[in-house]
Amino acid sequence: MSQVQTLDISPVGRVEGDLDVRVDITDGVVTSAWTQAELFRGFELILKDKDPQAGLVVTPRACGICGASHLTCAAWALDTAWQTEVPRNAILARNLGQLTESLQSQPRYFYGLYAIDLTNKNYRKSKYYDEAVKRFSAFTGTSYEQGVTISGKPVEIYALLGGQWPHSSFMVPGGVMCAPTLTDITRAWSLLEYYKKNWLESHWLGCSLERYEQIQSYDDFMVWLDESPAHANSDLGFYWRMGQDIGLDTYGGGAGKYVSWGYLPHEDKYQKPTIDGRNAAVIMKSGVYDSKTDTHKVMDQKFLRENTNHAWYDEGSADVHPFDRTTKPVQKNTIDHNGKYSWSTAVSHVDDGRLEAGPLARQLIAGGQHGESWQHQDGLILDMFKKMGGASVHLRQIGRMHETVKLYRQAERCLREFKLNDPWYIKPRERDGRGWGATEAIRGALCHWIEVKDGKIKNYQIIAPTTWNVGPRDGKGQLGPIEQALIGTPIADASDPVEVGHVARSFDSCLVCTVHAHDAKTGKELARFRTA
Amino acid sequence: MANLLWLQGGACSGNTMSFLNAEEPSACDLVTDFGITVLWHPSLGVELGDNLKALLLDLTSGRKPLDIFVFEGSVVNAPNGTGEWNRFCGRPMKDWVKELSAVAAFTVAVGDCATWGGIPATSPNPSESVGLQFLKRANGGALGAGYKSKAGLPVINIPGCPAHPDWITQIVVAVATGRTADITLDEFQRPKTFFQSFTQTGCTRNMHFAYKVSATEFGQRKGCLFYDLGCRGPMTHSPCNRILWNRQSSKTRAGMPCMGCTEPEFPFFDLAPGTVFKTQTVMGVPKDMPTGVDKKGYLALTAAAKNAAPKWAEEDIFVV
Repeated sequence: MSQVQTLDISPVGRVEGDLDVRVDITDGVVTSAWTQAELFRGFELILKDKDPQAGLVVTPRACGICGASHLTCAAWALDTAWQTEVPRNAILARNLGQLTESLQSQPRYFYGLYAIDLTNKNYRKSKYYDEAVKRFSAFTGTSYEQGVTISGKPVEIYALLGGQWPHSSFMVPGGVMCAPTLTDITRAWSLLEYYKKNWLESHWLGCSLERYEQIQSYDDFMVWLDESPAHANSDLGFYWRMGQDIGLDTYGGGAGKYVSWGYLPHEDKYQKPTIDGRNAAVIMKSGVYDSKTDTHKVMDQKFLRENTNHAWYDEGSADVHPFDRTTKPVQKNTIDHNGKYSWSTAVSHVDDGRLEAGPLARQLIAGGQHGESWQHQDGLILDMFKKMGGASVHLRQIGRMHETVKLYRQAERCLREFKLNDPWYIKPRERDGRGWGATEAIRGALCHWIEVKDGKIKNYQIIAPTTWNVGPRDGKGQLGPIEQALIGTPIADASDPVEVGHVARSFDSCLVCTVHAHDAKTGKELARFRTA
Repeated sequence: MANLLWLQGGACSGNTMSFLNAEEPSACDLVTDFGITVLWHPSLGVELGDNLKALLLDLTSGRKPLDIFVFEGSVVNAPNGTGEWNRFCGRPMKDWVKELSAVAAFTVAVGDCATWGGIPATSPNPSESVGLQFLKRANGGALGAGYKSKAGLPVINIPGCPAHPDWITQIVVAVATGRTADITLDEFQRPKTFFQSFTQTGCTRNMHFAYKVSATEFGQRKGCLFYDLGCRGPMTHSPCNRILWNRQSSKTRAGMPCMGCTEPEFPFFDLAPGTVFKTQTVMGVPKDMPTGVDKKGYLALTAAAKNAAPKWAEEDIFVV
């Protein structure tokens, strides 16, 4: 008879804000999992009855990693509620702010949070191990040091627009607070070039952006990899080879259904923003991709539901839309794996159920033929997904890092399109109403709902990418995306379950970013092995 | 040589992100050039689960010395003083904070949440958050007004939302290189070297302030943000316009009003309706005056400034 072992891991570090995972292991493989979000700060409660613009100050502070994305959502939510007009320059400046935050996150996340695991002693049998230690060791690795240090450069551009990163509030209903000059734009160009020359091309790709952009399919990628030692030995080429050598492409699959709100409103198509007009106005299209039926469709906020059956709220058992939520935390947050065990709610699509959010989701959706004909389309990661048998820890990384070159090109485009003598702000009239703002933070789908009544906030709700991914079981007992992804994970050494960390970190879940953020724990014998 | 442990409570990681923007020295330089050993950090730590708990127990028991304890985020007391809304390694974070502070040679609060409670402590403070040694202006906090670290100092408060990376790295380097005698603290335990001057010190809009030329709307290159848009630069202590952000700029330079985030009251007025990005006035006079200026002096000063204002001050001087 096989033995079931239960392992509580608290905390799984390096997912921002810490995450507690409990897994059941049968014969060395994870057979069930619970993801527990363990910090509640109550941002929705703080925002109630406050100034309508309070979200511009408070929500970037929900997450210091994706603050520009929160600010983007908060601003567009107010724009739709107040029926503002947003000038072209302001749309570009918001987009550029968000893009630079994402460009910052790519090396910082890959080296600082993710690749350190490749130096774990469990991989010392890999022929790539010594090289991984040389490149990726914390603080001293050759690529770690270069990547983490250069990650501060793109957000220097953010500071030129917003004064500082993180935690500026320079995006406001009706536009932006700044009015950059030619000096700022020139400096921004130079900062982008620096990032490209000293990391993106030199360390990450081992080739020019133009060469990388020729890769359109899995087969193209393999040709690129073999074409030159510079490609194979780049951090991308090295990670690709080592990831497969240690089997990262064989586990961490997950829900198999994906969501994106789309992002980057086009500067000429969203100057009169409305909730319903957004899908047709964003450069990067929204969508839901169901890999089981291989179908794409557009995503809309009205399809979203939250369930709190297994989350520490007293809000009944029904699935509700965020406009109808009340946010009533329980007083005693006892962990009950059959009952409530997380501050994160279970988020689902009314028709499609639980969906994975994140960079992989974005790329799978970018591969679809749905949406407007002018919107961005890119089939590379979808092709890899199909040829490699679906999602994995490995493909989640590749999907994420693939986006870097595209983000870079979009940032260049913003700089080209600014017309410095045109307006940056059109003062709006404050009014009551309902609004919704969305974007794609680097780690996935993010959106805010606001209801303004009698000149103050009546209801403010946030669904972060981590809320999608780290959520607990829902009203139907369906597991959350990370819980699903953990099942089937092989655990080589239960005293050092690096594989669980890999899966959790491949989602880049930002517990602080869930707003109902978390920290670690299970209360009991921590990270101790108990044999049932 | 010094070791450092960094933990997060009710935090957003914003101070960690700010810290990673550091250059001269960078976060990596602290390790490679200044001999600082990072025992653990929630984003950068290598240990998982059990191994981390063993490390924490070694520190709290005194088996391993702890030189610098950095805390980011508020200390959560909800529900009902138990701290169960923020658990870490199997128990309330607030209990770890007390035990680690008791053995640390130096305890450093980084960012507003750890210094005075910050955004989570905004009314109605659902998480019952406090700072390490203050709640807003009141001395006390999680560790009590009388707390001293092993080296004999109270908590060193590095406020800001977030704190600037140089404020953090310079204090850490001072401790690691034995220069703590050079650190003098103000009444809120902030290093005076950073927090004696004002946010306005070095602001590029100072001429507009002097001539009382107001930026009445956002998106303008001219005008001072104090008179209409709620800027707190003249009464906030920080070096934001001396030690620039991300090596490039500051909020007030870029056109965003200072929100006073290095002061205990941030966010001011608890973000009540009508208070965000709007100067609060009584009979047309700002409620909060530049530090040390009284109402009579302010009226005399601004009347004279307006009379003296040259024509160019009303025009855009930072042209494209």
